[in-house]
Amino acid sequence: MTDGNERLLPIANVGRIMKKIIPPGAKISKDAKETMQECASEFICFVTGEASDRCLKENRKTVNGDDICWALTSLGFDNYSDTMLTFLHRLRDTRPTPTNKTILLCTTCTQHKD
Amino acid sequence: MRQPGAYSNLLSGGKMGPHSLPLARIKKIMKKSGEDVKMISGEAPIVFSKACELFIEELTKRAWAMTLQRKTRTMHKEDVAAAVMETDIFDFLVGLVSHTPNPSATLES
Repeated sequence: MTDGNERLLPIANVGRIMKKIIPPGAKISKDAKETMQECASEFICFVTGEASDRCLKENRKTVNGDDICWALTSLGFDNYSDTMLTFLHRLRDTRPTPTNKTILLCTTCTQHKD
Repeated sequence: MRQPGAYSNLLSGGKMGPHSLPLARIKKIMKKSGEDVKMISGEAPIVFSKACELFIEELTKRAWAMTLQRKTRTMHKEDVAAAVMETDIFDFLVGLVSHTPNPSATLES
């Protein structure tokens, strides 16, 4: 059971996303949610595989957000890729880069590093 | 250092709140996808969290259209399967939905 749980997204989270789409009062059976869990995991594996192949071809070891966005487009999920690219750029703008972090650390410690 | 709400704002369109899907679980599933997947950047599970949300929303929308065709108000796995069959980009799911174990067809609101 633990293995099965670990390879699927939690049914509560999946059910919550599904519920946003259907009208109030409509119901989703447990088997529909379970099927959606399986589909979502398969989606992650499918896209990751494509992204990973790209990394291999480019001799890179780390799968990053750009690879995921590229894989989505490559596999026909064009309608997601615009949203995802915007999301990714906003994420990077928000997140400190390694360079920024080093500068921040330097400022805090009043030591200079390369 | 992580700013509180910096990522959740991105995911929930400005509203505060956690990620809609657990990042650690997403990362585990990514690692299981193949032996070649060794290193995953920190942003990749966050990107997938959003992509999965879009995927689940789209498949649910299409499955609901199938439910309506059956003139009922409860979505079953057959509706999800039908939505997969009629959508080209979901071809990778055909094997999965056409060979599923016995469903637990319990009604839930």
